[in-house]
Amino acid sequence: MIEMYKEWYEARHEYAKEWKEKTGGKVLGYFCTYVPEEILYAAGVLPVRILGSHEPQNVSEPHIFAMFCPFCRDCLAQGLQGRYGYLDGIMIAQSCLHVRQAYTSWDLHIPTEFSYYLSMPHHVQSPHAAEFLRGEYKTFISKVENWTGKKITDDDLKRGIDIMNRSRTLMKSVYETRKKSDVPITGLDAMYMVVASQMIEKSEHARATEGVIKELAGRSTGKENATRLMLLGSENDDVEFIEMVESLNAVIVQDDHCTGTRYFWDVVESNGDPLTAIARRYVKRLPCPTKDWPDRRRMERILQFAKEWNVAGAIVIQQKFCDPHEIDIPAIRKALEAAGVKVLFLEFDVTVPVGQFRIRVEAFLEMLSEEDLF
Amino acid sequence: MAEVQKGKEYWRWTESRWTSPDMDWKSGGIISAGVDVGSVSTQAVVMVDGKLYCYANMRTGSDSPESANNAMKWALEGTGLSRDKIHATVGTGYGRVNVPFATKAITEIACHARGGNFMYGPQVRTILDMGGQDCKAIRCDEKGKVTAFLMNDKCAAGTGRGMEVFSDLLGVHINDVGAMSLQVAEEPPPVSSTCVVFAKSEASGLLRQGWPKEKVLAAYCSAMAHRIVTLLERIGVEKEFAITGGISKNVGVVSRLSKELSVTPLKTDLDPQIAGAIGGALFAKALYEKKGK
Repeated sequence: MIEMYKEWYEARHEYAKEWKEKTGGKVLGYFCTYVPEEILYAAGVLPVRILGSHEPQNVSEPHIFAMFCPFCRDCLAQGLQGRYGYLDGIMIAQSCLHVRQAYTSWDLHIPTEFSYYLSMPHHVQSPHAAEFLRGEYKTFISKVENWTGKKITDDDLKRGIDIMNRSRTLMKSVYETRKKSDVPITGLDAMYMVVASQMIEKSEHARATEGVIKELAGRSTGKENATRLMLLGSENDDVEFIEMVESLNAVIVQDDHCTGTRYFWDVVESNGDPLTAIARRYVKRLPCPTKDWPDRRRMERILQFAKEWNVAGAIVIQQKFCDPHEIDIPAIRKALEAAGVKVLFLEFDVTVPVGQFRIRVEAFLEMLSEEDLF
Repeated sequence: MAEVQKGKEYWRWTESRWTSPDMDWKSGGIISAGVDVGSVSTQAVVMVDGKLYCYANMRTGSDSPESANNAMKWALEGTGLSRDKIHATVGTGYGRVNVPFATKAITEIACHARGGNFMYGPQVRTILDMGGQDCKAIRCDEKGKVTAFLMNDKCAAGTGRGMEVFSDLLGVHINDVGAMSLQVAEEPPPVSSTCVVFAKSEASGLLRQGWPKEKVLAAYCSAMAHRIVTLLERIGVEKEFAITGGISKNVGVVSRLSKELSVTPLKTDLDPQIAGAIGGALFAKALYEKKGK
């Protein structure tokens, strides 16, 4: 059953097209996990995350700086190559300059009936952030209502919250199983599950996940003696890389990135006004580095993950030219090493030079094990 | 302009082989081997009970398994020892998975640390391996186990291949490049391009401006040293410090590097290019012993 997610991941476009045909609904492509999918589900719109394809391309160069991160260039290339031609709308919630450029360029060159820039505050640690965001959501909701021609009620919002929370809670249960020493799911399969949840209608994904959780109870990957690793970074859906790492004597058991826990870990505490609850969730969720200041709140969670999931080493994946993440790296390295977790830093581009990374990963694993050869 | 003889292979560095004059492989000890197939050079080392018995250091061909075979054949030449008597072999280097007779492949990072520990002693904490196509800064403990490492990314500047290109351009034999680069009254500004191809264009320009070869080589060696220092500073240099790999034979780079770091690298009587293969042979011995237990 677990193979389903890989199929979904690979056939993301076919899935969305079929969903549209089947339901007659609208599909919206979003650029960042700060987009409040609760509101989109409330509106009956299917949100799908726009991700790159990790293939070389030659179409984005005239539209986006070559020294912007490979991820945003790869995302834009998908649009320019017509792979998301079925989208009825696109949106972004303010996160970083680079992905915003991908969004604005997309908006300029690939017209859709709806496009929206949501002013997500950067200073999420401000006591006014949630209130501000709630106001922004009000404006956003009225635009969505105009677009779909359908009113969004509080009950709709509560339904949106339930759909999102159910998916989050299930994914957390999946991640709980990765604490086991005989880890029942590989890092690659877990990645497929999370990324599929960003592309597949959440209730359908949740039904499948309920089945998989039962299956995981008795499952083994045969990786009991493998070195336990965690992956840190921005978005890490690089199949070739994860496959390479797990082809060695290693298994990825936990992560902090937005195709992983940063996407789903925090739920909406749904008491009272639903819009306030949603706004609080996005302000309080584990932040991405663009918003993680003046206090670095990510660190506590990273260290907790490292400890509870019993990881020996962390691979920090840096998208080339991603300044917000790069600024955090010295602090992350220091904190992890002080906690006894070794760190391997790798800089990624659109395509992965797998041979060059392989030697670094192998040497890292040798560093973490093979005591008996000395 | 430099005088360059057409067809002469200025880049061709001296290949070597050696056998211990006072050891006998028939002593009944564990015979282990390490083969380091690098992008430019290949070394085969044979050890008896963890002591260096013989080695060969030669150029890597286009075919990794063949290079490994050739280096091993040459190392064993005249010793009476044959490959089937070797108890365990570790393949390392760029072609580590292509050593046909290896028991196991281990990265050159682990092998250089282990080999550096053997060659320079347990006090070594930082090893710089300046290889043919990459450069590695390695920190290790007193057993020669890696504690941290960094590699240069995606570029051959600051490596042996870059030096070969310069040697050919200037028509100066690669063995003489380092010493010649020190024959300048005043240190010129370093070559600014980090890319080997661009650095070569820059050097051609300097030659046209009338710079003598010594000065151009000084500018290139100092650029290389400077680039390596920035890599080392990211990981931190803890004493004692040692350099392995082909570029460690280039006095022009090494002296500039030591000056910039204010650290004198340790010396060895052995060929510093064989560090990785020595590490491999020591790991092979440990693997053989582990299997026996």
